[in-house]
Amino acid sequence: MTSITVNGKQLAVQADPATPLLWVLRDHLGLTGSKFGCGVGLCGACTVQIDGVALRSCQVPLDAVGSAKVMTVEGLSNSGDHPLQTAWIELNVPQCGYCQSGMLVAADALLAQTPHPTDADIDAAMTNICRCGTYLRVRAGIHKAAAAMAAKTKA
Amino acid sequence: MRAPSPLDRRQFLVRTSAVGGALVIGLQPAHGAEAAPTVSAAPSTWLKIAPDDTVTVYVPTPESGNGAMTQCALYVAEELACDWSKVHAEMASGTAKFIEQKAYGRSVHFFSGRTTVEGSMDAMLQVGASARERLRVAAAETWNVPVSEIVAKDSVLTHRPTGRRLPYGHVAARAADVHLAQEPALKPPGEWTLLGKVSQGKLTNKQVVDGTAVFGMDVRLPNMLYAALLQSPVQGGHLKSYDFEAIRKMPGVHSVVVVDPAEPRFPAPTTPYSRATANRPQSAVAVLGDHYWQAKQALDALPVEWDPGSGAQWKTTEQLHGHALRACETPGKVSQSIGDTMAKLKAPGGVVLESSYLTPFCDHVTMEPLNGMAMVTADHVEVWHPTQMPLTAFYLAMEETGFPQEKVTLHPTLIGGAFGRRVICDDVRMVVAIAKKVPERPVHVIWSREESMHQGRYRALEAARLTARLGEDGKPEALLARIAGVGQTTGIGQPTSGLANTPYFLSASPNTQVELTDLPVHIMTGPYRGPSYNSNAFIVECFIDECAAAAKTDPIDYRLKLLAAWADPGWAKCLETVRRKSGWGQALPRGEGRGVGISNWGGDGRPEAGTTVAVVARVAVSPTGDLTVRRLDVAFDCGSIINKDAVLAQVEGGTLFGLNMSLNEGLTIADGRIVEGNFHEYPMIRMADVPEVHIHFDAVTGHKRFSELGEPPVGPVGPAIANAIFAATGKRIRQTPFRKQDLSWA
Repeated sequence: MTSITVNGKQLAVQADPATPLLWVLRDHLGLTGSKFGCGVGLCGACTVQIDGVALRSCQVPLDAVGSAKVMTVEGLSNSGDHPLQTAWIELNVPQCGYCQSGMLVAADALLAQTPHPTDADIDAAMTNICRCGTYLRVRAGIHKAAAAMAAKTKA
Repeated sequence: MRAPSPLDRRQFLVRTSAVGGALVIGLQPAHGAEAAPTVSAAPSTWLKIAPDDTVTVYVPTPESGNGAMTQCALYVAEELACDWSKVHAEMASGTAKFIEQKAYGRSVHFFSGRTTVEGSMDAMLQVGASARERLRVAAAETWNVPVSEIVAKDSVLTHRPTGRRLPYGHVAARAADVHLAQEPALKPPGEWTLLGKVSQGKLTNKQVVDGTAVFGMDVRLPNMLYAALLQSPVQGGHLKSYDFEAIRKMPGVHSVVVVDPAEPRFPAPTTPYSRATANRPQSAVAVLGDHYWQAKQALDALPVEWDPGSGAQWKTTEQLHGHALRACETPGKVSQSIGDTMAKLKAPGGVVLESSYLTPFCDHVTMEPLNGMAMVTADHVEVWHPTQMPLTAFYLAMEETGFPQEKVTLHPTLIGGAFGRRVICDDVRMVVAIAKKVPERPVHVIWSREESMHQGRYRALEAARLTARLGEDGKPEALLARIAGVGQTTGIGQPTSGLANTPYFLSASPNTQVELTDLPVHIMTGPYRGPSYNSNAFIVECFIDECAAAAKTDPIDYRLKLLAAWADPGWAKCLETVRRKSGWGQALPRGEGRGVGISNWGGDGRPEAGTTVAVVARVAVSPTGDLTVRRLDVAFDCGSIINKDAVLAQVEGGTLFGLNMSLNEGLTIADGRIVEGNFHEYPMIRMADVPEVHIHFDAVTGHKRFSELGEPPVGPVGPAIANAIFAATGKRIRQTPFRKQDLSWA
């Protein structure tokens, strides 16, 4: 039994310690929001935050997680109203949607570090692949969420 | 259940029922009523209005990101006059009803935006109108007033003279008992309040952003097994041997299942896709386990030997490409001929141009790798699958199991990218073929990214040689295209689409000829976002650009001259729009250039049909040959528009798809197998590669058609870039992908 903390909950997992976190989340814990896209850390569909850092969960074995806090797309908000989620819906960002959980989790990590990112900041931080071509809207969504978060902080 | 009301002009019947206080609207084909369905008298369900006013629309159109589910719900809402915030959409499950009653018959072949409109629009509008009229009658009966005094709006029924109000849900059950002498006529489009007026975001967005959306990969069932799949690395090869003992004791391993193409299969109805070569059963081995990662680890450790078969003769990419290019040196089968092209090419005078082009195999690279789940019991097969073709999927489940249609259930899931890959349904066949070896257990078969890429049904490799003789006026007096490709006759598609059906070949020259040669190569092909069109638009638009240069005419002026005789003003309007918006003609620094491309998908040679797209690309090429696309200006004419933001999203996506295809995509071959397996070998554009994109609605003519937007932009982006590279460097690039070509200049 391994214990890990996901989205604020401590959970016990019966899995080979070498199992990549992605498959622990999806197949053992039923958190299917994080997606399998390439299995080699290149596409970003499986992006989660580990202690606030955006990482490809397919490249992180279970036993490397330790006591770190894992956050998946399911942990962004309780009722789907994170500023990024709201911006994504308002701007109709997703097409097929498969890559968007990874996009959102990566964007959330970016905004935590850089509350007012430039286009260049977004280019550098957002390395996720979207085959449908939603990049223009992902960029707009990040700017919109950043503005909404700034307005909230002021108020 | 009320007797059906006849709907003569549409050939289907509206049936209603009350289920748990909800109004349920179903459809049955009128012509099938007397043929007495053997399966079930119940109609297929399209719409439910619950007592709490919730409206659920059951959508038979696969959702792959094009917004088809939302579009279908919008049709219903237009006539139903309901509150959009109360509308939900669900996938309609495929059962025998869906097949036998043919209620979905018009819409089961859909997979593109075009079929969403043409296949579903009338039926969905009618369902909404028929429900609304029953609700109005039910309200009139409740208040004992004439129905003409009842107004339906925003999910509320109002008695106009007294102002009394009832929410739809309150009379839903009563409405199910209303019998109409005649189903209501549809509103004329001029009276629409939603369609063409309001842009609604996708209904699926909420589940996508909170992680609860269920793609094929996310289906979870009790007692399920996972299967990691491997097919012959050389397509068409056969499994020689494997050693289960080597992995038997690995953690979580359940069994090894072999799929033999020669094992017995059963007669079943077919579709063009289930008959395709690319759908034939393939030799495969799968490791089944408690968890996918365990199954995959064991598969990687499993000793397997393959007989590669005849495909191994294709040792290198150069060998195959050379073969394709050489095939264009000799005449092929004439597929279209106007005038006397061969004689006029040899006529004296003018300028003769000849160029050869090549576009390689490309993989769809759907972000959701191929996968699906099936459970086969003694008397039933159930399939959960992200498929673009539910009907083909349904028939293949019958063919693999031998079960009659009433013993088959298909649950289409959300699709994590399709682009044509999930049309062939070879994935569905494989999933059922494996699951049937492990009865009573749901088996989720997953292709790794590498397996998905190695076992594609690819965009066809195509070579072409184009020859023209330009007259004194610079226009082609004769134009010949010789095309050679893989899967041109055995694959699905229109091998000359985007070439033979262009105005250049139909009206711009008095003598044109198109010839085709099919290359019998083992690598399987299938539709890929604008089948053949995506290659042919590149080939034609690059060649026309060469003709313009030879005629010493501006590339846009030259195209307008050739299009003068074409009876569709949309083409010129698209070109004029991108010329005006892109800064065309303005000076650029050395090493930068602009180029243009224009093409039409869906019109198939008819004026004012399909969607025409023109693109101006602005590029920068460094002296060492590094290519940067700085800006794309896109103008299009799809006729008319139903949902402006959905249109914009499709044009954005199609443009970036065309960009990636042209810059990056090309598979290579070694000893018969596809070499590339993952993103380090088959790169995709990412955020930082995305140029400035300006999409212009100015060329939309308002012609009365709603043509699709997914495929059309994929055509003109590549040639616009190639022509811009020429403007920047003086080099003609006649092959894709551009990042694999030598673009250096001095």
